[in-house]
Amino acid sequence: MSSGAAHAVLAASAARAASAPVRVSGLGFITPIGRTVEDFDDALFAGRSAVRAQKLEIKGMDTMELAVAACDFESNGVRSTSRLPLDRGTAMALAAAQDAAAEARLDLETIDRDRLGIFWGSGLAGAGTFDSTTSALYGEQRRMRPTTVLTVMPNAAVAELALHFGARGSAIAYACACASSAVAIGEAMRAIRGGWIDVAIVGGHDAMLTPGVMASWHAMRVMAPPPADAPSSACRPFSGDRAGFAIGEGAAALVLESEAHAAARGAGAAPFVLAGYATNCDGTHITNPDTAGQVRAMRAALRDAGIEACDVGHINAHGTATSAGDAAEAASIREVFGKATPVSATKAIHGHVLGGGGAIELIAALRALAREALPPIANLQTPDAAFDLDFVQGEAREAKGIRYALSNSFAFGGTNAVIVAGRASER
Amino acid sequence: MSYSDASSPTFNSIATILETDFKVERSAISPATALSDLGLDSLALMEFVFAVEDAFHLRIPEDRLDPREAGITLQRLCEVIDAESSGTATAMPAQPAEVPA
Repeated sequence: MSSGAAHAVLAASAARAASAPVRVSGLGFITPIGRTVEDFDDALFAGRSAVRAQKLEIKGMDTMELAVAACDFESNGVRSTSRLPLDRGTAMALAAAQDAAAEARLDLETIDRDRLGIFWGSGLAGAGTFDSTTSALYGEQRRMRPTTVLTVMPNAAVAELALHFGARGSAIAYACACASSAVAIGEAMRAIRGGWIDVAIVGGHDAMLTPGVMASWHAMRVMAPPPADAPSSACRPFSGDRAGFAIGEGAAALVLESEAHAAARGAGAAPFVLAGYATNCDGTHITNPDTAGQVRAMRAALRDAGIEACDVGHINAHGTATSAGDAAEAASIREVFGKATPVSATKAIHGHVLGGGGAIELIAALRALAREALPPIANLQTPDAAFDLDFVQGEAREAKGIRYALSNSFAFGGTNAVIVAGRASER
Repeated sequence: MSYSDASSPTFNSIATILETDFKVERSAISPATALSDLGLDSLALMEFVFAVEDAFHLRIPEDRLDPREAGITLQRLCEVIDAESSGTATAMPAQPAEVPA
């Protein structure tokens, strides 16, 4: 073969790899709506919200009443490889990742761990621990711990995951607020497609339900007040009377893997693939989302998946239920998809988990593919009259034959991340 | 009063800290266990000593006990704790007063 022809073959092979779907070999999650697929599905498809009212009393300040979504999770039950104390979020990350690896039946003794990566997102990482330790330092004059830095650093979870799994490939923390875990997942897709690694444990977390962190969110005026008679309905995405989000906590993990690696280890069929990903930045404002940036991101993700807008049967919107956020997203979805594609928004039931949100919401989209059903937007009685979209309202909607679902994550700082997931049999 | 007794309140308290916060198997915790045999690295040992100091409301001077020194046993740690708290501790905590997260 001439060197020109060889180059052409290599280029064609690289192009195929660059757009190849990446297998989802396992899932694990700790969320306010449950830790098992059964519990998660029950709440998801019934539109049952885990949001509750919580009083926040801080000395010298008016009592705040906040809408929060907490996980039933005992962080002290998680044993870290380092034997060091864990931030609650890191403990959730470790538990979720262990569940995902178990489902994928990853045998750490036999896989090449030089090619096992950790790609993990968190928006505020150890802020909860830093809040409680500094509060104890100033209040009760209790010393900082020798390991405080290691517990609160943004890559604390990445470090614990890499230690736990003995991962020796790329191990990177992604911090882009609400899009952190979506970006982590997408960048892992790229690393697998590019041949840098074979398999990755990916996802994200945040655990922010400590007084200082909650008060910070409250001060930003983006949190919904919990209605006295129905606190679980605080977050109402795309509703005319939407009033912001409920702050959530949790972690979600996926095992991503190349088809070749899965075949070589005899992993069997997987139900889902990630088919496309795109990320960009609005470059316009630190909080105000920009429709143009979101449109570019969604179109780029469809191109990356090699599909058209009409191939997508479901969108799990970012849907924060803020006034500006939902308006921008409704407009961007309308521009890319018209009114054809049904839209759900699951933050209404599990809260805004920030760095963990993208991963949890992608899992919700995967469950929609698995069940061939679309989750309703909880608490959505009357959509904003300005939004001309097909919202899934009231009850779950049947979606027989659905092939692709798309999950949006749009962050403070302007980072947009869009992931297209598909049923494995469609490729 | 024997400080080396595995049933002493001091020993029970530090055993609870090791088990709860540092996930050391109870069966691996005895008065004769050397700190260096707990499976904790130097940083985790420092964290452990901090936790013990907070639980007993005392400070262990490093010249009395450097946890990184080879051969120091849990019994020795108990003795130092009891000596440091004698005269100040009217009621030795049977459980850590507060085990930090």
